[in-house]
Amino acid sequence: MIAPESSTLLTLALYALATFCGVLGTALRSPLWRKAGCWLALAGFAAQTLLLASGFHKSLPGGLSLGAYLQMLAWFVMLCGLTIWLRMRQEAAALFSAPLALMLFAMSAPYLSALIRVPESLKAPFYALHIGALFLSLGLLALAFAAGALFIYLEGRIKSKQRMEGFWQDMPALSILDKINAFTVLTGFPLYTVGLASGLIWAKPVYGAVISGDPKEVITIIVWLLFAWLFYNRLTSNWKGRRPARLAVFIFVLSLFSIIVVNTFMDTHHAFIRS
Amino acid sequence: MDCEIYLVGLNHRTAGVDVRERFALASHCDAEHWALPCRGALSEAMILSTCNRVEMLAVGSEDVSAQMLDCWAKARGACSDDLRPYVYIHKDLEAVRHLFSVASSLDSMVLGEPQILGQLKNAYRKAAENHTTGVILNRLLHKAFSVAKRVRTETAVASSAVSISYAAVELAKRIFGEMHSHRAMLIGAGEMAELAATHLLQAGIKELLVANRTLARGQELAAQFKGRAIPFDALAEHLPMVDIVITSTGSIEPIIRARDIRTVLRARKNSPMFFIDIAVPRDIDPDVNALDNVYLYDIDDLREVVEENLASRRDEAAKAAHIVKEEVEAFAHWWSGLNVQPTIVDLIQRGENLARAELERTLKRLGPLDDHGREALEAMVLALVRKLNHAPIMFLKGDALAHEQGASRISLIRRIFDLEPHTCSRNRGES
Repeated sequence: MIAPESSTLLTLALYALATFCGVLGTALRSPLWRKAGCWLALAGFAAQTLLLASGFHKSLPGGLSLGAYLQMLAWFVMLCGLTIWLRMRQEAAALFSAPLALMLFAMSAPYLSALIRVPESLKAPFYALHIGALFLSLGLLALAFAAGALFIYLEGRIKSKQRMEGFWQDMPALSILDKINAFTVLTGFPLYTVGLASGLIWAKPVYGAVISGDPKEVITIIVWLLFAWLFYNRLTSNWKGRRPARLAVFIFVLSLFSIIVVNTFMDTHHAFIRS
Repeated sequence: MDCEIYLVGLNHRTAGVDVRERFALASHCDAEHWALPCRGALSEAMILSTCNRVEMLAVGSEDVSAQMLDCWAKARGACSDDLRPYVYIHKDLEAVRHLFSVASSLDSMVLGEPQILGQLKNAYRKAAENHTTGVILNRLLHKAFSVAKRVRTETAVASSAVSISYAAVELAKRIFGEMHSHRAMLIGAGEMAELAATHLLQAGIKELLVANRTLARGQELAAQFKGRAIPFDALAEHLPMVDIVITSTGSIEPIIRARDIRTVLRARKNSPMFFIDIAVPRDIDPDVNALDNVYLYDIDDLREVVEENLASRRDEAAKAAHIVKEEVEAFAHWWSGLNVQPTIVDLIQRGENLARAELERTLKRLGPLDDHGREALEAMVLALVRKLNHAPIMFLKGDALAHEQGASRISLIRRIFDLEPHTCSRNRGES
């Protein structure tokens, strides 16, 4: 059995290599390097799955740490990216997800000891539904963010008649980025809703009220409302292109703020505490 | 005598189209047609004849360029003096460098265009079928193909569109990706617009609609592009169906305005549209570009894209020239080694012949010897010859000799060891 530390290093190395190959393949316009990037991302995902399956996080005392939270988010980002790559034949999704996962994985290192308290009685269903659904939707949102940010940049260049040279030459077409955005929003929002609803339902027995004015609850509901607005406009095909891209970027940034700033620095039920 | 490589040719820079037409040679032209009179000196040959260049590449044991020129002119019913002012003659490594540049499309009229490599491969295939290539041209041409591939892979010399119509299609691909699910509309007619439509069809567009003020002309164009003609008056109702619009009418007022497109976008549920306005005066109101999910490029925008792409290709050509230089050096190394080989073989052969002759003479003087003794004596004299030959062979091989250096060393060794002069005719037919 691989030691958790070795598995973590292996995952980190594979995500870094996947990112490197993806960037190199895009810069050199080499399909071979890009393909290598996709497969390395898949290998990194497999290594991280092994790490999770080996029960590394179960060994953490007292609950889930911010570090483990970010690592799990990285895993879900990869899961979504690789699914889009394999199902929709969009290698851009795998290549976006590798640097995002790398960033989340690298960010997790200093916070592995910061824990979130989870009531004993709610641990199993809490993880299964609330955390699982929210993580999956955040993974999809991360991809919507990457596709959206790239869409805004590339569209700006096309609109202002700037050349696509070097690194930008082999970027996906705007319609592909828009499709990724649509897919991630349409699948991500229902999951986010399930995650949020399960949290609110369990809040009643634990904290005495469904909504207690907790900063985390407030920001999550704001994210949900924005996400709902985006979902509705996507579902009715009212929005395409720049507008949903901008909103997806904003929603993901707000979600990251919620995870990193609200959970770490604000007084909330979801606060990470340093042990 | 050494093998020498000659390249005699003319191209779009040295000769106008009338001259190129006059002296064109079919690329499949059998070397027999023109090389027969100089067969004694020529060992390998091939002809590359395209609309922009005619080049003859040959390997010979002496200066065959004048003969090649005569044969070429004669094959086209002219004399060499008519041809000479337009012709360049490259010898040895300069010929190699030129060939590599041609294969890499660095010498083409449109820098980086891809057709020349196919034409060169075709010319080589024909020459190989006619058995007019040998060791040197086989190696040289395969090397030229690999240099061209390296240039395409390692530089961006062929990466961007350099014609207005093609640049428009490249832009459409940046917006829509695959073309097979998209429709285009051609409004009006004009050479550039028709060319853009051709490129779109080649890119796999689903359907092309043609709208022309004269319906009959529209139908004619639609038939040409296997599209569908629509009445000009029905333009507005067909616009929501198309993703790409190419306009090239003679109208002095814009025929498509931003307010019209807002309605079209609503009908399309905001699906993106790409407008290519090739008309002057413009057919499409520039404000259209400000709308969400609408992209508008006019003739000046496209021209700017093409000019920037051309400038970028020129920058990349400098990198490509460096690759060509490296590869010429690598070829020179192989070639000098190839020239040295016959001399080494002759040197070894001469030494062994001398040793065996002396051995026979000695054995006669010694009288009867058993097989073991005879074999030992033979092994000793051959070992002695090998050791004596070691230093001159090392001298011949040298380290990465330039072709000229190698030639002078070969000549020196041949004189010292009194070896017969050799010709490169032995290369013929080998591969």
